[in-house]
Amino acid sequence: MTLALARKIPGTPLEDAVRRYPDVPRLIILKTDVQRRGVHYTEEAVSYLDPEKHQTTGTHIFGTRDGVIALRPESLLLRDGTSIITTPTPPEENPYVVDLHDGRPWLFDAGVALEEVDYWPAPAFYGKDSSSGVPMKNIVSARPQRLNIFPYRYCTFWNNGKGCAFCDIVTQLKKGSRELKIPARLDPVEVGAVIGEALKEEGRFSTVFLTSGSIVGGSRPFDDEIDYYIAILKEVGKNFRTPKFPSQLIGTAFEKEQLKRLYAETGLTSYTSDIEVLNEELFNRHCPGKAEWIGYREWKKRLVDAVEIFGPGRVNTGLVAGIELAGPHGFRSEDEALERTLSEAEDLARQGVSTVLIVWSPRPDTALGAYKNASLDYYIRLARGLHALRVKYRLPIEHDSYRNCGNHPDTDLSRLLPLWEE
Amino acid sequence: MSEDLRNAIGSLLKEPATVASIATLDENGAPHSVPSPFLRLDADGRLVHLELLETSATHRNLLRSIWFERPVSVTVAGSDNRVLVTTGRTYKALVSGPLFSEYYREVRARLGDVGLAAVWLIEPEQIRDETYAVRKEREEVLHPFHRHLDRLAVRHGGAP
Repeated sequence: MTLALARKIPGTPLEDAVRRYPDVPRLIILKTDVQRRGVHYTEEAVSYLDPEKHQTTGTHIFGTRDGVIALRPESLLLRDGTSIITTPTPPEENPYVVDLHDGRPWLFDAGVALEEVDYWPAPAFYGKDSSSGVPMKNIVSARPQRLNIFPYRYCTFWNNGKGCAFCDIVTQLKKGSRELKIPARLDPVEVGAVIGEALKEEGRFSTVFLTSGSIVGGSRPFDDEIDYYIAILKEVGKNFRTPKFPSQLIGTAFEKEQLKRLYAETGLTSYTSDIEVLNEELFNRHCPGKAEWIGYREWKKRLVDAVEIFGPGRVNTGLVAGIELAGPHGFRSEDEALERTLSEAEDLARQGVSTVLIVWSPRPDTALGAYKNASLDYYIRLARGLHALRVKYRLPIEHDSYRNCGNHPDTDLSRLLPLWEE
Repeated sequence: MSEDLRNAIGSLLKEPATVASIATLDENGAPHSVPSPFLRLDADGRLVHLELLETSATHRNLLRSIWFERPVSVTVAGSDNRVLVTTGRTYKALVSGPLFSEYYREVRARLGDVGLAAVWLIEPEQIRDETYAVRKEREEVLHPFHRHLDRLAVRHGGAP
């Protein structure tokens, strides 16, 4: 089969969607749908995996739809450099399939070969151990161009059972600790040393990314989380000649004084605080810990405050897109969900805060795990809407782009944002 | 597509004096042409264009090309006046991995402290020999009505 024939079979759901949205690249629609439906790796696809060359699953902070930790490709790269962060999904749930085609991995749907893919390449430091004998990849992990630090794989909102309804961080922590020997809490000095080792690989990484579960403790709530991030970022910063370096932190919504410390004392250059859903009632329902400790309106206010410190285009918030439609309390229609979500996103964009989406992947060990995510059309329309807000309000999103994250279809579209300064 | 011409491109690109350029289309369909100093042919017969800047017009146009299937054109001109023009499609942008790293090291070895946004692979669909001498001969044989008559006229007084 030639490549051209393999890629375009009229009548498939993918090609139908491509026809409906001619302004949205086929590759981004495919990525979105793969994230929506999940993937299943065939035995042949897994046999193609070479841990010396490719990244394998197991380092991520969240779990999978099939609830299994097994040797599989960590994720995929498409031909345009777009990443698909994949969630292995049981075959009976109708996921896309990764199988071999002419000896190379391809994405298939209903037996049709749609698009060739690459497995994420393994960075050089993955084969090494830290000074304490822990595999370096269990301290710092990688995306194609990003270094991931997950320093604390627990969220204290779960202490009184108020973790987010879509989140399986604690379940994954237990599996990770038990099956992969991943430390729950990282030593900042050791993190700095692993980053130093990773940077020896020329041309591989373009950003340092840091996130953990929320830590409510401290003189002021979340001071402990701030102190820990600062300790880690200071150690990471010792590897750079410049006081600031391309970096992103996804943290709790901090008070302005906390954010000032974070910016002043470290090399951090961008800040993300995920509100998860842009509706106060649904936020209270699905994010009870965030609601209890901070509250919806205060969360949004703190995002806007952060723009003063990090600058417009350097602050954003993330949505677990689809939970706003889940269950009896969700919006009644996708049209209503779009209108209300984009309306609130515009209010943030007007004040310098960008909104990005991840496609919600219902996981078995979560309160919302029994529900389905939204339609492909919904995700395409939402991605287009969020991208359009960045165009309208001149908001760059380079710190959370295809290169520096890769998990947001809307920021993939923003690869072609206007270059306003030119 | 002529394998001879594909091989000729490979040969031309091995000569240091060869000049290459890449032309892409912007969002309004306007052409944009720039030098491609690192251009080469890979083992699979694809043209390899190294793009140093994420925000360059060429990089963004190449992205449009792979997203919306727009053609690109690559011109290779040798020191012997041979000119080969390839039209093709963007096949892939490498942004990570061993091959990307290899090219990254190469551009830094040649240019110093620079980056590399992507390694673009272009699948040739058509190669035309645009060498003037070749085109002139073909035109005069196949399209005789395009010639100016003075070029055919009897010469008086030794005029060229």
